[in-house]
Amino acid sequence: MDLEQRILQLETRRHFFRNCGLGVGKIALGTLMAERLAHTAPAGVSPLAAKKPHFPAKIKSIIYLFMAGGPSQFELFDYKPELQKFDGKPAPDSFLKGKRFAFMDTFTKDVPKMLGTKRAFKQYGQSGAYFSELLPHTAAVADDLVFLRGVSTENFNHGPAKMFTNTGFTRAGRPSMGAWITYGIGSEGMDLPGFVVLQSGPRGPRSGAALWSSGFLPTAYQGVPFRSTGDPILDLSSPNGVSLAHQKDALDAIGDLNRAHLLETGDDEIATRIASYEMAFRMQSSGPELIDLGKESKDTLAMYGAEPGKGSFANNCLLARRLVERGVRFVQLYHSDWDHHGGPTQNLGAPLEQVTREIDQPCAALVRDLKQRGMLDETLVIWSGEFGRTPMGEVREAQVGRNHHIDAYTLWMAGGGTRPGITVGGTDELGFSPAEERIEVHDIHATILHQLGLDHTKLTHKFQGRDFRLTDVGGKILKKLLA
Amino acid sequence: MRVLLKSPVRSQPRGNTCYNPAIDHVMKSASSKSLLVAVIAIGCTPAPAWQAGPNGFSPEAIQFFESKVRPILATKCQICHNEKTRTSGLSLETRASLLAGGNRGAVVDTNSPAKSVFLTAITQSGDLKMPPTGKLKAEEIADLENWIKIGLPWPEKTAKATRSGADHWSFKPVTRPEPPPASKTAWTRNPIDQFIVRKLAEKNLKPSPEAGRRTLLRRVSLDLTGLPPTLEQMSAFLADTAPDAYERAVDGLLASPHYGERWARHWLDIARYADTDGYTIDAPRDIWKYRDWVINAINRDLPFDQFTIDQMAGDLLPNPTQDQLIATGFHRNTPSNFEGGIDFEQYRVEAVVDRVSTTGAAFLGLTLGCARCHDHKYDPVSQREFYQIYAFLNSVDEVDDEKNRKNFNQPMLELPTPEESARRAAWTAQRDALNAELAAYEKSITGDRDQARTGPAQPSLSGGDPASPAASDSVVRASFSEDPGWKERKANLAALQRRMPKVTSTMVMRELPKPRESYIHLGGDFIRKGAPVSPGVPAFLPPLSESQKADRLGFARWLVDRRNPLTSRVTVNRMWQRYFGKGLVDTENDFGTQGDNPTHPELLDWLASEFMDRAWSQKAIHRLIVTSATYRQSSRNRSDAAAIDPDNRLLARQTRLRLDAEIIRDSALLSSGLLARAVGGPGVYPPIPAGATSVTQVDRVWKTSTGPDRYRRGMYTFFQRSAGHPALIVFDAPDGASAVTRRVRSNTPLQALTTLNDQAFIEFSRTLAERVSKEAGPSPDERMNRLFLLTLGRQPTVEESQRMKRFLSLRLDEFQSDPESAKTLAADVAATGNESGNTAQVAAWASVARVVLNLDEFLTRE
Repeated sequence: MDLEQRILQLETRRHFFRNCGLGVGKIALGTLMAERLAHTAPAGVSPLAAKKPHFPAKIKSIIYLFMAGGPSQFELFDYKPELQKFDGKPAPDSFLKGKRFAFMDTFTKDVPKMLGTKRAFKQYGQSGAYFSELLPHTAAVADDLVFLRGVSTENFNHGPAKMFTNTGFTRAGRPSMGAWITYGIGSEGMDLPGFVVLQSGPRGPRSGAALWSSGFLPTAYQGVPFRSTGDPILDLSSPNGVSLAHQKDALDAIGDLNRAHLLETGDDEIATRIASYEMAFRMQSSGPELIDLGKESKDTLAMYGAEPGKGSFANNCLLARRLVERGVRFVQLYHSDWDHHGGPTQNLGAPLEQVTREIDQPCAALVRDLKQRGMLDETLVIWSGEFGRTPMGEVREAQVGRNHHIDAYTLWMAGGGTRPGITVGGTDELGFSPAEERIEVHDIHATILHQLGLDHTKLTHKFQGRDFRLTDVGGKILKKLLA
Repeated sequence: MRVLLKSPVRSQPRGNTCYNPAIDHVMKSASSKSLLVAVIAIGCTPAPAWQAGPNGFSPEAIQFFESKVRPILATKCQICHNEKTRTSGLSLETRASLLAGGNRGAVVDTNSPAKSVFLTAITQSGDLKMPPTGKLKAEEIADLENWIKIGLPWPEKTAKATRSGADHWSFKPVTRPEPPPASKTAWTRNPIDQFIVRKLAEKNLKPSPEAGRRTLLRRVSLDLTGLPPTLEQMSAFLADTAPDAYERAVDGLLASPHYGERWARHWLDIARYADTDGYTIDAPRDIWKYRDWVINAINRDLPFDQFTIDQMAGDLLPNPTQDQLIATGFHRNTPSNFEGGIDFEQYRVEAVVDRVSTTGAAFLGLTLGCARCHDHKYDPVSQREFYQIYAFLNSVDEVDDEKNRKNFNQPMLELPTPEESARRAAWTAQRDALNAELAAYEKSITGDRDQARTGPAQPSLSGGDPASPAASDSVVRASFSEDPGWKERKANLAALQRRMPKVTSTMVMRELPKPRESYIHLGGDFIRKGAPVSPGVPAFLPPLSESQKADRLGFARWLVDRRNPLTSRVTVNRMWQRYFGKGLVDTENDFGTQGDNPTHPELLDWLASEFMDRAWSQKAIHRLIVTSATYRQSSRNRSDAAAIDPDNRLLARQTRLRLDAEIIRDSALLSSGLLARAVGGPGVYPPIPAGATSVTQVDRVWKTSTGPDRYRRGMYTFFQRSAGHPALIVFDAPDGASAVTRRVRSNTPLQALTTLNDQAFIEFSRTLAERVSKEAGPSPDERMNRLFLLTLGRQPTVEESQRMKRFLSLRLDEFQSDPESAKTLAADVAATGNESGNTAQVAAWASVARVVLNLDEFLTRE
């Protein structure tokens, strides 16, 4: 037990003795003091209290910008002059033979044609990274980003692929990254959950709660969805008609009766419940202040494009910064919808322009804002979808898009001890396959955990007879991208 | 595991993977495509060496094997390919096992030895490259080639019959230990206690005294029915001074319909029951009839062996009853993916794998899922055996193809209510009438045309005469499609078709007429088919009965065969766990070699044999446990026992257990008098916080139930896998993703926010306060007593009463000076109840009730 936990525990005990006016001898000290297995919160200590990592952590927090639906790397980051040359030509046999794709029955009915992008690309910054015209703001922070290209994942359907990105498995029931992390090292924010989920765009992410589930870990580690309007957390506000004084009195009364019962039974769980109620009350007090974006300067709001009281990706980015500022360990933002297959509402024209407009400025602002506040070094920002899209076009109702592609997609990271301005991995000239070493989702998991001071092979939990971990049987730390 | 191909691109998706370093080596060189299936020829090509058999080899040939071949096998091959490890299902320890091949099929092609997988692997001329540590020397390869050519000379040796772990305690037959007679004391009530006392005595510990009668009745009511006792039940019990008062109370509870609800919910956790299909779309599905079947089966104490058979294979029984068909919903509770663009077969396979794992957890207490990609690392279950069990469950007639997308929930069983039948009949009559009208209309047109053509009359199109030639049929159709009268009638028919009245249905199992072929899936990947397998049970367990067919029904009967050492032990252990927090075997889902040993092995076996001897009656075992002195003990912590047995594994006392998610709701409903006691029926929609369902792809409308359905037990709340009701999820209700044999009991601030602030709990508090004011006298003491009796089943202590009255008076002051708040909190109760006109009183008492509903004692079974 580290010092912080120890103090907390003693604090609870002192409170308990003082208020109950009893001597030490009257209760079974042995059980109160008994320390339990690692990762089981001792009596009176929140399961979310900060815990010691396996080795010193380089960073404190993660902000994960999840682009739900699978953004097209070819329209955003991957400049492929060779692909332009083959535009309209049938895809080579080797791209199709023995391969499986989503919408197999329609996609490969006729040989799909290669699709060059219609978007103009330019190089930016010292790094010379390419960006398309759709991301002018992100391009302006090019030198703060590190690109991972040719990343591969496991499954070409949205729901299972999202679960894989988040939990390391394609089926529901496993703990998500944020749950593993808070299980491993707790959270620094005493008044807030350790793992917060924010959401924007026309619809929630496919698979829903399975994406931030605690799986077989205790529910204390599950992601807590914050709503961008109203109460950020369900039931955070006291009920109508209950004043602050009333709420406080009620909690005191509950606490007093619980303490008396703790004395009578000697059951540690009651001490934990007392601590839970105390933290609930602190959350109630800090919540409204947290989501009040009106407290931010005009310049900051303008930089993000945030408008207080509105539900948007921009507001969520700003809220994410406020959350990590308050010690929240893992913030995940979902923004939909990036599923550009073609057709009137899902093509690579206006629909793509709209979603890139929604995210471009806030993403850049988040990186800038963290940097100017000196928080970027200790916060790892990740921008990623669940997979990328094919270099072949997909035509639906005469409007073109791209199909899901799991072998070579692109994501970026910023801060959190990464080496700014570099690219790791790459793809062949047509962007179909990784050209260099494989980068897999489990490698990204391993690297994230590493930065937080966690050894991905040691962060395990026994379930159904097996020690499970976020990285399943894979995972290598991507040392190249670390400073 | 890493699959490194020449191209870094993976050409096939992989299945779920687990770690096995040995497999890792193999897979590094594995091809995703090559699957050479060799044919073992028997007598096709005369080759004397092959026919010679192991004992017919010349001493020179044996000498060659011993000097040249065996050293290579021993140093380069058998590290992975031995009887124990059997990497890729292949053992190279004996001639027989070599010839038997592995998961890829045969490795030696006796027809054309040069083409053997064994040789292409060691010459590294194909995709599979062996050994993984580096290519053999040229002369070693030559020796092995020669060895195969001369017919694999090898001295006879039989492989070890058993794999590791087969002598593990739980794999041995259930015994019938005698309860230790010496441990029979004044304290013991039945044989359970004798086993418990003996272990305690070994540590010089004494059991705890019996809990107080109020505590005892509250405990056993919550455990058996999931509801605290009513005031009437409590008074009757306290007034009953007969020595068997408790036993009679237990019998009453076991006879209550709520007993079936409570114990059904435990089973539904294992059955991964939910009302939606999970994954991406998470659409509602009809399967609540299965949930009701479980409740009814438990209420009528359907013997557990039949309970098992009906669920696993009710459809295969001779002349199954409707109930037995509904029961097969058990294995239709698998999550299903119907996202656009999927490969249906992939998710069907996923469902079958889930059925294997769930069967393992539910009945056998085995982690069978570990053997999906490779042999089980710890238990004697090979990958082949995993797929043999898979083969039992692989032939359900369910959708495996995009073409059948619209039938994705099939097979379904229609169970129309009389009203639904009537509606359906009316609809059918209307459809038949429209059809007849269309036919008549067509006839009138074709009649005109025929007259003009003076040809033979064309048959009715809607009738679909098979004799009519297709060509002329389409000609006629084409001419109809221009006729406005025909088009109108056709459209009417189509519109009616869309309005076919829905009837109550439920998902069931139905076997394909011809079973699907089953294979070992190499690395767990459904695309990479290895050797074919036929249905079978693991070799370390008793065989299928010879009188049974090797099908799903035979497998179900095998699960509950008296000779099966696991099912009865696993089941009684899980019952035990519900009463004491932990089972006699702590790892309730792992009775394998990595699981814990039982703390009381004799007691476990005694209970298991008792269970079978009492014809698998669950009620009999429940009664036995809850009437034991062990169960009736006080749960107060004892420092003397804690010092010796901190985790209370020896049971020197009972254990306090936080109530399950649904039971917290149910207790509050019962205390406040709101509970609607109806049993069964479709899922209901109690109030839900705004925005709670918007966290998933489809923000489904939550039509909050009105009337009694608003106050149904928590287990009837419609359960959406991707967005479960927050008040259930926050208290650890499972999400239906996979079998849950024990719930986590967490203790978090979000739980506090729920019971403090959620509107549902405010409603309970307010109604409870109203009830108290109606039922108790006007004095605060009388009311406080009543409130505690209704919620905690006891009166407050003097200190508690004083503390609560202090809180009450503060609230009264506040609400008198702030009538707006009082009105808000008291809501319509003040207007209608007998406290009308005194909103401050109602609001203040609602506040007090809210405090009590948040006490640890209210949320806990003592």
